[in-house]
Amino acid sequence: MDNNTKTIGAAVVVGGGIAGMQASLDLASSGIKVYLVETKPSIGGVMAQLDKTFPTNDCAMCTMAPRLVEISSHKNIELISLAEVESVKGEAGNFTVTVKKRPRYVDEKKCTGCGSCLAVCPVGKAKAAQDGKERKIKPIPDEYNEGLSTRPAVSIPFPQAIPNKAFIDNRYCLYINGGKCGNCKKACKADAIEFDQKEQIFELNVGAIMVTPGYELFDIGSKPEYGSGKFENVLTALRFERILSASGPYQGKVLRPSDKKIPKKLAFIQCVGSRDHERDYCSAVCCMYATKEALIAKEHLGDQLEIDILYMDIRAYGKGFEEYYQRAQKLGVNYIRCRVPDIEEKPDTKNLVIHYLSENDKKVTREYDMIILSTGLLAPKSAKQISSTLGITLNEYNFCNTGPFTPVNSSREGIFVAGPFTEPKDVPETVIQASGAASKALSLLCGSRGTLIKEKEYPSEKDITGQEARIGVFICHCGKNIGGVANVPEVVKYASTLPSVVHAEDNLYMCSSDAIDKIKQKIEEHHLNRVVVASCTPRTHEPLFKNTIREAGLNEYLFEMANIREHCTWAHMHEPEAATKKAKGLVQMAVAKSKLLEPLYRQFVPINQDCLVIGGGIAGMTAAKEVADKGFLVHLVEKEAQLGGNARKLHYLIDGANPQDYLNDLIKTVNNHENIRVHTASPIESLNGSIGKFKTVINNAGNKQEIEHGAVILATGGIEHKPSEYMYGKNKRVMTQLELEDKLVNDPKFKAPECVVMIQCVESRNDDRPYCSRICCASAVKNALKIKEKYPDAGVYVLYRDMRTFGFLEGYYTKARQKGIVFSIYDKDRKPELIESKNGNLTVRYFDSTMQENIEIDSDYVVLSTPVIPRPENKELASLLKVPLDQNKFFLEAHIKLRPVDFATDGIFLCGLAHYPKSIKDSIAQAGAAAARASTILSKKFIETEGAISVVDEAKCIGCGTCVNVCPYNAPALEEVTVTVEEVTYKTKKSRINPAACKGCGSCAAACPAGAITAQHFSSREIREVIDAFDKGVRGVSIEKSIVEVMV
Amino acid sequence: MSNVQSCYQCGKCTSICPMRRVSKTSPRSSIYNANVYGLETNDIWTCLTCGRCPIECPQQVDFLNFIKEERQGKTPLHVAHLGVFTEFSELSSKLDGKTPERSDSKYGYFPGCVDSLDLFLHDVKTNFGEITTSSLKLLDKLGIKPQIMNMKCCGHDVLWQGKKDVFEDLKKYNLNYIKESGIDTLVTSCAECYRTFSKDYGLGIKVVHISELLDKLGLNVNDAVTYHDPCRLGRHMGVYEAPRNALTANGVVVKEMEHSKEEALCCGVSNFMNCNEQTKALRIARMDEAEATGAKTLITTCSKCLAHFNCLKTEKDSVKKYDFDVVDLTVYLARKMEQT
Repeated sequence: MDNNTKTIGAAVVVGGGIAGMQASLDLASSGIKVYLVETKPSIGGVMAQLDKTFPTNDCAMCTMAPRLVEISSHKNIELISLAEVESVKGEAGNFTVTVKKRPRYVDEKKCTGCGSCLAVCPVGKAKAAQDGKERKIKPIPDEYNEGLSTRPAVSIPFPQAIPNKAFIDNRYCLYINGGKCGNCKKACKADAIEFDQKEQIFELNVGAIMVTPGYELFDIGSKPEYGSGKFENVLTALRFERILSASGPYQGKVLRPSDKKIPKKLAFIQCVGSRDHERDYCSAVCCMYATKEALIAKEHLGDQLEIDILYMDIRAYGKGFEEYYQRAQKLGVNYIRCRVPDIEEKPDTKNLVIHYLSENDKKVTREYDMIILSTGLLAPKSAKQISSTLGITLNEYNFCNTGPFTPVNSSREGIFVAGPFTEPKDVPETVIQASGAASKALSLLCGSRGTLIKEKEYPSEKDITGQEARIGVFICHCGKNIGGVANVPEVVKYASTLPSVVHAEDNLYMCSSDAIDKIKQKIEEHHLNRVVVASCTPRTHEPLFKNTIREAGLNEYLFEMANIREHCTWAHMHEPEAATKKAKGLVQMAVAKSKLLEPLYRQFVPINQDCLVIGGGIAGMTAAKEVADKGFLVHLVEKEAQLGGNARKLHYLIDGANPQDYLNDLIKTVNNHENIRVHTASPIESLNGSIGKFKTVINNAGNKQEIEHGAVILATGGIEHKPSEYMYGKNKRVMTQLELEDKLVNDPKFKAPECVVMIQCVESRNDDRPYCSRICCASAVKNALKIKEKYPDAGVYVLYRDMRTFGFLEGYYTKARQKGIVFSIYDKDRKPELIESKNGNLTVRYFDSTMQENIEIDSDYVVLSTPVIPRPENKELASLLKVPLDQNKFFLEAHIKLRPVDFATDGIFLCGLAHYPKSIKDSIAQAGAAAARASTILSKKFIETEGAISVVDEAKCIGCGTCVNVCPYNAPALEEVTVTVEEVTYKTKKSRINPAACKGCGSCAAACPAGAITAQHFSSREIREVIDAFDKGVRGVSIEKSIVEVMV
Repeated sequence: MSNVQSCYQCGKCTSICPMRRVSKTSPRSSIYNANVYGLETNDIWTCLTCGRCPIECPQQVDFLNFIKEERQGKTPLHVAHLGVFTEFSELSSKLDGKTPERSDSKYGYFPGCVDSLDLFLHDVKTNFGEITTSSLKLLDKLGIKPQIMNMKCCGHDVLWQGKKDVFEDLKKYNLNYIKESGIDTLVTSCAECYRTFSKDYGLGIKVVHISELLDKLGLNVNDAVTYHDPCRLGRHMGVYEAPRNALTANGVVVKEMEHSKEEALCCGVSNFMNCNEQTKALRIARMDEAEATGAKTLITTCSKCLAHFNCLKTEKDSVKKYDFDVVDLTVYLARKMEQT
């Protein structure tokens, strides 16, 4: 791209799943106008259909819904649903994208999403309402429930859909296909139905294109051995996910479709449609989603449900996965290693029978009530069309081609890709890649950042000083989550009797956009000056409701939330009456507090736009380059004398690429970049401050330098573990994979081996180090192939527990077997042994479970696959930055699924091995993601602070520093003052809380011995009021004595 | 009754009041206001009840009793730590409590509130529970195997915070507990418990502060320390020599501070009130005196003094660093005993 040509400060994002959403938010928050083009009626992708997410079992919709809402209310994002890209002209920085939008037959501006049209649509219902005559209309399978329920021709895909607008399916609509009916038009109070809507074609002028079309699931119709989808009780895992979901076809009850009975024996068959000769790749997510679904099903049905997972290798390779797998085993999920040849259906019971060969060579027959097929991920159906429209190349399986060092670049400049379209992957990696792709676009468009965006405008704030409290209470059913247990109308009635409450109402989903509009309307109508919403957790939904009342002219802090889902109906699922009473009590407490709420205001704190990157390995250098490419000054700090980190020890990658060439280029780029200051041999001495204004002192051989910066990217890497077993360090022919790699390339004395044995999972996946190091299986395959390439006659044995060659790595595993490399399983409890005979020969002895006997191999070299371990100095660094470590002492991100590169502390980001073991390609993607996330801060001139922060009454502060010790966000600091009390003058320090860093958690206010700190919005007075209301409310109704006593 | 009527407003009390150095607090005007005009003043709350003024009073006005009674039923100006310790006492006053596990021993040892101090005072980096374990080790060495008195809070803080009703509930329970235990001597390691059981309970059995027993340990410690007189042990109870003897008899040299015994300066915070910048000035003054002795250890016999000196000492990033340890007498001696 010519530097003089003006780029367009806008981007189009193709595909509105989790990848597209993340890319849109990163771009839009960094000042790029975003057009989000989604082919379906709503964004959300497959994640919107999931019940829970592994490995934390968080509710998928609960973590995702706030993002859906954020997209819909983001001023810089224009959502274009039911649309596809027709053609692309131009070049990077200035594309003209032609978009075709299919008709919705509903005016999006007028539709409130109220659902009246859905109720009157006759299509799919057996009897038509008006004439009583039977109509022969096939029911329409509801796509959201994977065909397990039906839907009318006019529908809203799911309750949290964005846009939350009705959509008429022209394939089924009676009016569109024959001019009869029109019920929906009559029923629509908003006059939104437009049967004459036509397809629209328009052009968008953008600088970059993000391609995130997602994936397709393997169609079990082409698996006759598993019934081709005709056995009622054989389901795909996504269907089963819908069955597990409370918003699913059976309201979360685990039933089998044929007779709606509760299953007692259930099996998952893994690798359906992947890891075979047609698709020689691993779908990367199925082992974990099967484990998740097994755990949830067990949660629902307990020990009466028996679950087998029939697998080949359990690929629990991501952060927290191995621990999750261990937990599932402890909770009674059986994992059986086999490949199931076929399924037979018993005609009478519709039960299913399978035969398989067990690990110890015995034929086993089993009968199940239900079988779940863990279907693999395919490239999206639209892949070929996308490829030709956008001019980007695909690989042999129709996934998008990316390079070994360019994980988010398509083959065409200015077009970036992310998500499973490039390779099967799970949510966090999708989010990482999406942010990484956003980073590339931000670099490309850095000259035109902020040129096409609007600031969000709110109506001027109503002055409520001196007004009596007028409280509105809005109570959510959350579908069945709340309304299925508690009697919501009764709670509404109760709420309306509470003092100062002037209005109370309920809604099926308070977070749906029609309910939001209703809240605004009621604020006007009843002159409300306090709003209470009783629904789910404020963690996910408070921002939405605060924004809502702000849009209605109220200060956002005049809002209070009662959590009657997690705190009530989920906890008392089987006690509807008690739950109703408790819900009343919780509402009463919120109402009591809301009376005392006062308006609070956010501050605008100027920020420093420089960035500090800690660690000069591949991740750190890539992050530095990516931030610098966006026009920000970067200080890259490395404690070693040399840049390069672990990559200096890597000489070839599994795909043959040369990391040294890449590394040397990167070092050169970083050293010569006009926006990068490299500080080698400069350990960090101190790091203070917070988002927007950090101060860091580095020490270069006694030469201290202070750096001011607005954000931090932590990329300090990890190290290869040096084991103590298998004679490592005692026998020169025993080595780690990295040492082998070095010898293969650099050691002239390395003698051609006759036999090499590799042992996987050495001192990893055990009690001391329970995590899977993710990269060792691929390293072993890579080095085994290298040995075979250099010494074709050498015998190579890989002794493993599970081969975890996920995604396209599977192809290399296949290739290795084809080259004659022997892969043999060993059991955790029967580890291979290494014996050194008197003449110095090394013999590996292990139990081969297929042959059921002990095998001994004489080996020239024994190579140990040891894990990547966290750096020992992580603990020190973590306390310096005030960020947490996980149980394995890697750094812990803010949210394992949706915020994989952020820390809970604002302004600090994470990438590379410091986060978890990963490949170079993954590190590069994550470094880009960290850069994009940092850029969302650095691209602003001010940070808007939280309003409900803690404040210090300086006259009361005794300067003990307790607040500094307890604050998780590094917000309080001690500043020196002189105190004069009558005859005595002394110097001391007093606490000041930095409003930019404070999140208002209140830890300091609770810990302050002098009572000098007030957590605004949670003052002692407000809390006392809540406790008094508890006395009258929850305790007054006395649900269970034991609970109340504990709470007192 | 406190004999406040005898006060002739000479003002000697206010002129020597440590709080007067750092605030407008005046013992004289608090008596004057209450007695002459029947007015309430903040001064009854800013008073540290350190007991300094009655010692000098020419009319021997029982100022401590006056303050204690004057506070009853009123709301304190400010209670430190958001009143959590008060809440604990109140809660414990409402619970059933334990019954004594009787033994043959005629000695009972009461650990006081070290557990709740450990629970909430993390930042002062003090192991309060070690006072209990040390006391038991030392008693053991003396051949005393006391019953552990698993009683409720002695009620000192609530009494001085004006909550006599709570105090009476606690006292009633504790009196019964002591009676049922069958002991004839109650040993405490806390100056506040000691004062309360001795003066506010009417127990009818012997109450001993552990320092009064420790001169017979027979240790030969070669060390020099300084000793801070807690108001509750010293001026309230007149026990000045016992802790000093406990040190000197075991070979420890006591380097006295500029003000000691009856004239000792105050730690600034009794009964978890008055944690503020005024009393911090007093704390600094006391710690400066301790530093000036050159001793490497400051010994005290009250867990409140211990907490608050250590609070100053362990301040995050403080302006001044104090390079000596602040240790309870029992902990100090038990550690020395175990070193030999």
